[in-house]
Amino acid sequence: MAATRERTSAREIFNTLEYGPVPESHACALAWLDTQDRHLGHYVNGKWLKPEHRNSVPCQDPITGESLTACLQAQAEDVAAAVEAAGTAFENWSGLPGASRAQHLLRLAKMIQKHQRLLWTLESLVSGRAVREVRDGDVPLAQQLLQYHAVQAYTQEEVLAGWEPMGVIGLILSPMFSFLEMMWRICPALAVGCTVVVLVPPASPTPLLLAQLAGELGSFPGILNVISGPASLGPVLASHPRVQKVTFCGAVEGGLRLFIQESVWDETMRRLQERMARLRGGRGLDGAMDMGTREAAARDLAQRYVSEARRQGAQVFQAGDSLFPPTLVSDLPPASPCTQAEVPWPVVVASPFRTAKEALAMANGTPRGASASVWSERLGQALELGCGLRVGTVWINAHGLRSTEVPTGGCKESGSSWHGGPDGLYEYLRPSGTPARLSYFSENLNYDTFGLAVPSTLPAGPEIGPSPATPYGLFIGGRFQAPGARSSRPIKNSQGNLHGYVAEGGAKDIRGAVEAAHQAAPGWVGQSPGARATLLWALATALERRESALASRLERHGMELKDAKVEVELSARQLRAWGSRAQAQGHVLQVAELKGPVLRLREPLGVLAVVCPNEWPLLAFVSLLAAALAHGNTVVMVPSGACPIPALEVCQDMATLLPAGLVNVVTGDRDHLTRCLALHQDVQALWYFGSAQGSQFVEWASAGNLKPVWVNRGCPRAWDQEAKGAGAELGLRAARTKALWLPMGD
Amino acid sequence: MSARNGGTELDLSWISKIQVNQPAVLRRAEQIQARRTVKKEWQAAWLLKAVTFIDLTTLSGDDTSSNIQRLCYKAKYPIREDLLKSLNMHDKGLTTAAVCVYPARVCDAVKALKASGCTIPVASVATGFPAGQTHLKTRLEEIRLAVEDGATEIDVVINRTLVLTGQWEGSDFIKTSTGKETVNATFPVAIVMLRAIRDFFWKTGNKVGFKPAGGIRNAKDSLAWLSLVKEELGNEWLTPELFRIGASTLLLDIERQIYHHVTGRYAAYHDLPMS
Repeated sequence: MAATRERTSAREIFNTLEYGPVPESHACALAWLDTQDRHLGHYVNGKWLKPEHRNSVPCQDPITGESLTACLQAQAEDVAAAVEAAGTAFENWSGLPGASRAQHLLRLAKMIQKHQRLLWTLESLVSGRAVREVRDGDVPLAQQLLQYHAVQAYTQEEVLAGWEPMGVIGLILSPMFSFLEMMWRICPALAVGCTVVVLVPPASPTPLLLAQLAGELGSFPGILNVISGPASLGPVLASHPRVQKVTFCGAVEGGLRLFIQESVWDETMRRLQERMARLRGGRGLDGAMDMGTREAAARDLAQRYVSEARRQGAQVFQAGDSLFPPTLVSDLPPASPCTQAEVPWPVVVASPFRTAKEALAMANGTPRGASASVWSERLGQALELGCGLRVGTVWINAHGLRSTEVPTGGCKESGSSWHGGPDGLYEYLRPSGTPARLSYFSENLNYDTFGLAVPSTLPAGPEIGPSPATPYGLFIGGRFQAPGARSSRPIKNSQGNLHGYVAEGGAKDIRGAVEAAHQAAPGWVGQSPGARATLLWALATALERRESALASRLERHGMELKDAKVEVELSARQLRAWGSRAQAQGHVLQVAELKGPVLRLREPLGVLAVVCPNEWPLLAFVSLLAAALAHGNTVVMVPSGACPIPALEVCQDMATLLPAGLVNVVTGDRDHLTRCLALHQDVQALWYFGSAQGSQFVEWASAGNLKPVWVNRGCPRAWDQEAKGAGAELGLRAARTKALWLPMGD
Repeated sequence: MSARNGGTELDLSWISKIQVNQPAVLRRAEQIQARRTVKKEWQAAWLLKAVTFIDLTTLSGDDTSSNIQRLCYKAKYPIREDLLKSLNMHDKGLTTAAVCVYPARVCDAVKALKASGCTIPVASVATGFPAGQTHLKTRLEEIRLAVEDGATEIDVVINRTLVLTGQWEGSDFIKTSTGKETVNATFPVAIVMLRAIRDFFWKTGNKVGFKPAGGIRNAKDSLAWLSLVKEELGNEWLTPELFRIGASTLLLDIERQIYHHVTGRYAAYHDLPMS
């Protein structure tokens, strides 16, 4: 029988030269699932956990629909148990010397190497991704991640002195994640001494396998715990008091936007279509496939997008006949909704452009800010585009390269968290001595009404004591202006008597301030670091000249005169310190397996909004301002509520020394102003040093445009200490990283 | 042979505009080798096809009429009859594409092939092979003599001096190298050549052939080369008119793979006829 079949086939194949299937057996994956009786639980504290009375969710093969296993759905108690285990493990794990953690990570890498076939088969089977992608990409990279982070752990005591691990980290993964995304996040967390609880969507066996491999190393069972459960458990994990930080990874692989210069449009489209015609898509477990197949939901999404695009008049080219083939969409009208929408996998939308400037505007004109590649033979042009693109990673004449040493992250709606490289480590560290994050989450906070209403102000009695007239107005666009609301609020001194009035800023003023800051931004970014340093130093000198006025203002608020003088002196010193740090910071990374450098650039965030603390009203104001400006940002500041006048004094100097719009100061009701800033979609970052409630609101509201936030949760900070006022932490937060890849070769 | 390359006006700007993104080419080379494998009956069929592309070559200082005769016989009967019968391929007249020898041996090759009633062409290397550093007069004379003796294909060594000074010529086939250099046929180089062939075809409609030579020793490699041509140029180029593999020991390895496919066993040295 076999002989007959063979005889005809080989003869036919001789003529057609078709490829034929190269099936990878998934027997090992099924065998592993059998060890759990096809019913997976959670993996906590080194053991399988199968609590009773839980629902199960089936996990199916995305193409055939064959049922593979059932996965338990967790409930809140399971999450709590996992966090407890992680918390206990943290005590030991964080106390170990870095070298021991390094050893452990290397053992895990070896474990993965021993079981790699099982790992890639399981991942390919369940997710539908092409097996060669998982086998040749994900698994080796996972091992490299462990090795790289082992090295970081080894040198942690010297290199990262002054930083300590945060504690228990919660990791929430979305339905379309890959196990590599999980590795990117747990490796740095574990390396620096944190322990991890991962909440995976149900029907994801691979993380459970990974947890089992880690658990079977024997020592330190509780450092990696995996719970499978519904998305509704996310808030449970996030609000658990022992969880210090939550990392969230959304759906990662989407479609692409391709911008092609008009003069090479035809050639490029031709070559692209020619190449697409050769792509092979099909069952992930077939070794000769380029692209795997996703489950039905992803295919439907893509289908809807393509149909919509067709309706709007686009040209659609599809290659091949797999379940959903790679698709090229072109001639989509710029104003159509499809142009703005997220492009689903496996669609590519091609648009023409005339000049590089236009391309930059188009590329920066979407809310996504993860990565981009620039293809040009002209180095200068490629670099200019690379620096202008608002994304976290830029490849020049390459695409999709990744390596453990290079930080990967993004901006805008791609989120502000980083993994890989030094940036990835800082995500899980905090300055030594910071108190643990206590639970401050209040169920009673009403997000709709927080800061909405502004209490009215009424005359508050005579101004007492000798005082030069307090500077009045909102400092916006380089000059003092009257507030939109045409109202003021009284500032009382330490005896409860009226010190002066300050303007009552409102939503319109915030809008104006943010606009002014945006207008000043290009000019400020364009300044050389030396020029920025000069300006900050000049401001420091002006501050010193104004010492007696500032000290007397501070004294009115109950400070001892000598302490007030010290505060002024420290403020000037901070300005100079930050001025001298205004050098462009970036450095070159050497990447294994890549010929050519990768630049790690530090770029300004954009417009930074700061709500200053009540403690150290002058020093904090100046420190925050200086750090932000030194890194090329423009700012909107809300000064201390109780003592805003010293800040306004400084504005008088800023009016003459600094370009207009660089610094904008808005006084008024702090909660109201905070609300306006947090909800503003065009503020790139927000630092809030106020109340616990305000902190909670800021974190919630900033999710609107995913701006990075820094809140104090109501705890005061020692601004006079070097580490707090002028330390590395402010520097890290005041800028963002961009990785610029420059593969070389001729 | 396919239609001769009619050629075009020499437009040097075509050459100066060429840019090669070397790191990307290296990545593509790795990709093709990793992603395109064939197994089982597909592998068997592909290997037999690969045989039909081979220019069975002997270019040794000690070539004589006896080893040429053996070579020509092997060219006519590249795979053992019973193996072909199991694959139902015994009646296809499977032979290699050509036999490739030094000019002095062309006579012997032609005689041997005639004696077995075989029509495969005799290719000769010529023009001061392998270095090409002889006078133009003798190089042309070499070609004339080889053709007189019965060679119908000539592997010409280009004058590298001319190349390095930007003076170009056209041809029907391009070959990766003489096969006698330290580095011969590598994938990245091949990708660039294949893309050039494709661009030339798009511009002029002329199809130029491709021949990798040197260092292709095992069956697995030959499959990778077939994939490469299939991926970059398509099935049209997978014919002896447009694709040749210059090899000598490759045939033996292919035969061993076929033996294994048919019998399930690994052959001993003496199980398969020498070439």
